[in-house]
Amino acid sequence: MSASQLKCTAFLVFAVVLVPLPFYSTPVITDWCLRLGTLMMLSISWNLAANAGLVSLGHSAFWGLGTYAAMLSANSLGFGFVVSLIPAIAIGMGVGALLAVITGRLRGFFFAISTLALSEGLRVIAVMTPEVTGGGEGLYIDQANRPDSQTIASAAIFCSFVLLAISWVMFRSRYHYAFRAMRSNEAASQMFGINPAAFRIAVLMISGGMASLAGGLNVWFGGFVDPAIAFDLHITILAQVGPILGGIYTLLGPVIGAVAAIGISELTRIWFGVSGLSLLVYGAILCLCILYLPNGIWGAITRLRKKPAGPPARMAEGRP
Amino acid sequence: MPKDCRSNPGLVPDAGWRKTVFFTSLLIAGASSGNIRKMSLFVQFLLDAILLGGLYALMTVGLALGLGVTRIINFAHGEFIMFGAYATFFGAGALAIDPIIALPFVAVLVAVGGAGVFKLVARRALAAPRINQILLMFGISLILQNLAVLMFTGDARSVITSYSMGATDIADVWLPHGRIVAFAMAVVLVIGLVVWLKRSELGKATLAVAQNEKAATLMGINVNAVYLLAFGINAGLAGATGVAVSFLLTITPFMGFQMLVKAFAIVILGGLGSIWGACIGAFVLAFAETAVAYYVPNGIGWAEGVAFLVLLAVLIIRPRGILGQQVETD
Repeated sequence: MSASQLKCTAFLVFAVVLVPLPFYSTPVITDWCLRLGTLMMLSISWNLAANAGLVSLGHSAFWGLGTYAAMLSANSLGFGFVVSLIPAIAIGMGVGALLAVITGRLRGFFFAISTLALSEGLRVIAVMTPEVTGGGEGLYIDQANRPDSQTIASAAIFCSFVLLAISWVMFRSRYHYAFRAMRSNEAASQMFGINPAAFRIAVLMISGGMASLAGGLNVWFGGFVDPAIAFDLHITILAQVGPILGGIYTLLGPVIGAVAAIGISELTRIWFGVSGLSLLVYGAILCLCILYLPNGIWGAITRLRKKPAGPPARMAEGRP
Repeated sequence: MPKDCRSNPGLVPDAGWRKTVFFTSLLIAGASSGNIRKMSLFVQFLLDAILLGGLYALMTVGLALGLGVTRIINFAHGEFIMFGAYATFFGAGALAIDPIIALPFVAVLVAVGGAGVFKLVARRALAAPRINQILLMFGISLILQNLAVLMFTGDARSVITSYSMGATDIADVWLPHGRIVAFAMAVVLVIGLVVWLKRSELGKATLAVAQNEKAATLMGINVNAVYLLAFGINAGLAGATGVAVSFLLTITPFMGFQMLVKAFAIVILGGLGSIWGACIGAFVLAFAETAVAYYVPNGIGWAEGVAFLVLLAVLIIRPRGILGQQVETD
């Protein structure tokens, strides 16, 4: 069996084992499955954007939009669980494209702040339009269409595998090199016949749609949303912690990071008995990984496995 | 419109520095007739916007200086503001020190803390790729914020002084004492910063590093010491902002983040790293926010979103800001 066949088999085995897991387990494990699935989706989504040189500090914007799209289409249009995820993905893709058009060629700090502002701006809009969003009081999802939590958790795991497959295809395609070129230098990538504007729109559409889907799934599980929950900074942080911890710009990094992040947050909760610690821990993970483990867990593993021939690959984009 | 309710706005705990704005918009509804009323309303609007602009300028100049010199985007800026406010709160509570007297002490305390953060962590980000800088500073801000949650709990606190609630009525225009004190602090500190930069040897060295660090090194300036100094001043001014808002806003561990996003909006509006740009941007944002709060229905809530709208508009129309030099594309 060739290496890629082996990987394919491993992928399918994991999918077949994990997707039905919530149906044969306790409520705690169902809860973990949902958190793991949505976190994997967020991490994969953030990593795709970062891979093209776009550091997002506003993934909660996409998440929140997906949340509201799923909730509102279910409540006012009577959409079922699966159908309601379509408007969720659509709005994430739409706003992703809009963000790409608005930010034009801005990157680095400017792009990061634009995304942060997008998320905060959407939160203000959600608070100020109570006729639609229920305002600060929030909204409950229509219980009639709501499937049981095992189904939702299982769907989350399933979707995360689908997204992993999508990102696998993207990493294997020739576009991967285009994204890497954009990350290093957008102007130079243009000279190789890459159209950065089109690629940026594409990558933010895909990334935005993925994060919105995660938000849409999560709202069916929780059943309630208000602007502070939907556009929570916590989501943005989680979306970064996965790839940074696991290994940024790699295919498997976000997955490993998501598993490790959930593990760490559960362990600190058990050891210290305080739930508010997880954000502190995530902050420490961000700092420590950037300083001492810039290529994450996956980077450390691959480096141990095969000694690099040249100096270790530095992350692109030097100091201007 | 009963006037006593405006003279005692401190009863509304989380209305913040928009207290006066809120009660004045009630005034709009109450007094729709007469040009004198409209005139005094306009004067009130100008006054509120200017007072708010001074605070925004204080909130942003330090960030602009730190950014211009070190080229590190200080995501912990909001947390330094928050620590300044807490220091003022504990000083006022335990030692009964008035915020005006506490101002220099708190500023120095937070500046030392900020310099410590720079020495320990942020210094390593100087030569790092942009993405690492952003995520590292973001991580520091998260750590500081959640340390505050652990140390001070999430409870909302407020500092009550003799001037925080008072207001004087001059020809139907209300002068809120607390915000005038805060404005005075801002004016003194911002002018002090500008004079220091222009007149003193160290200030000139700091400006030189901001302009061209390599040339500054050749001129015998210790660039690393200037980085440390600039970051410390950034934190110190943030701490001073914390003192100025401590008797206007409720103090929570999360207060920093909202102010941080606004400060970033102002920095981008003014032009990255430009101190004058930051001052102008602060007043532009203050006027825009106050105008929305006064003249748009439900404007108090929408005013919170003005910063983001302004930011988007700047990014579309003129990404390098009012006085900015360079925009980050490649």
